Amino acid sequence: MDVIIVMCLGVLTGKFFFPLKWKRINELLQTICTLLLIFSMGVLLGSRENFLQEITTLGFQSILFFLIPSVFSVIIVYPLTRIFLDSRKKGKKEGD
Amino acid sequence: MVYLAVIALLGGIVCGMAGLDNILLIKMITSNKDLILYILMFLVGISIGLNRGIVSKIKEYHIKIFVIPAGIIVGSLAGGIVSGLITGLPLNQSAATAAGLGWYSLSGVAIGNLAGAQAGSIAFLSNLLREIFSFFSIPWISKKLNCYTCIAPAGATSEDTTLPMMIRYTNGETVVLSVFNGVICSAAVPFLISFCFNFL
Repeated sequence: MDVIIVMCLGVLTGKFFFPLKWKRINELLQTICTLLLIFSMGVLLGSRENFLQEITTLGFQSILFFLIPSVFSVIIVYPLTRIFLDSRKKGKKEGD
Repeated sequence: MVYLAVIALLGGIVCGMAGLDNILLIKMITSNKDLILYILMFLVGISIGLNRGIVSKIKEYHIKIFVIPAGIIVGSLAGGIVSGLITGLPLNQSAATAAGLGWYSLSGVAIGNLAGAQAGSIAFLSNLLREIFSFFSIPWISKKLNCYTCIAPAGATSEDTTLPMMIRYTNGETVVLSVFNGVICSAAVPFLISFCFNFL
């Protein structure tokens, strides 16, 4: 919830105070923050006591448990967005 | 960006394995990752705020706004059940693992408490891998399928860590839908894990 509040504060800042000419700097800072988060995710993984052992013993199962649900989500969401969201856009364009 | 992300991830793993996580700079990064996330969310908010008229566009979706989180939940649970059939793990544990929707910290602990340390480790690793996979699949999905579908692999992480990739590779409308989806999926994860584990 707190993450959402922080983002809403950002939205208000962007809407009322943030100069458009600083957009590039904002994007650059976002990239830096993202890379730092990914790096810390890597550190978290690598510093797990039995990381290599876990990867070799539980790796196959973990790969299946992330890959199949992710792919299934894409397989279900894609046609739904084509039917409900893309069609809305097209209809609007035709209406225009 | 994708190459940089790979380098950052591998660099982090190497540092963690080499025990360099006690170096002051690395310790500062890892112990302040919540703060970094807040800064990132604030910056993402600025990007959305700079994009005029986006909120009114989202209002036009009405009930259709729930199509993406519903599809993600159904797809993930179905995928979890199929993974369970392949690996031979109990269906309730398999579905509960997939019900983490990428939220590795919560699902790792929750499933660890419910089904033991090994199940917790699988839940942690698989949901972490899902988040990493989302990072790298977003550019491909936006190019080959459509922008909305980029939200699907991200699941519950679409409101925070994978959001910068959404901003870079999709459009303002998808970014707002992505935040909405993340809120719904994050709220659903604890209920889904408990429901799948106890009732399947």
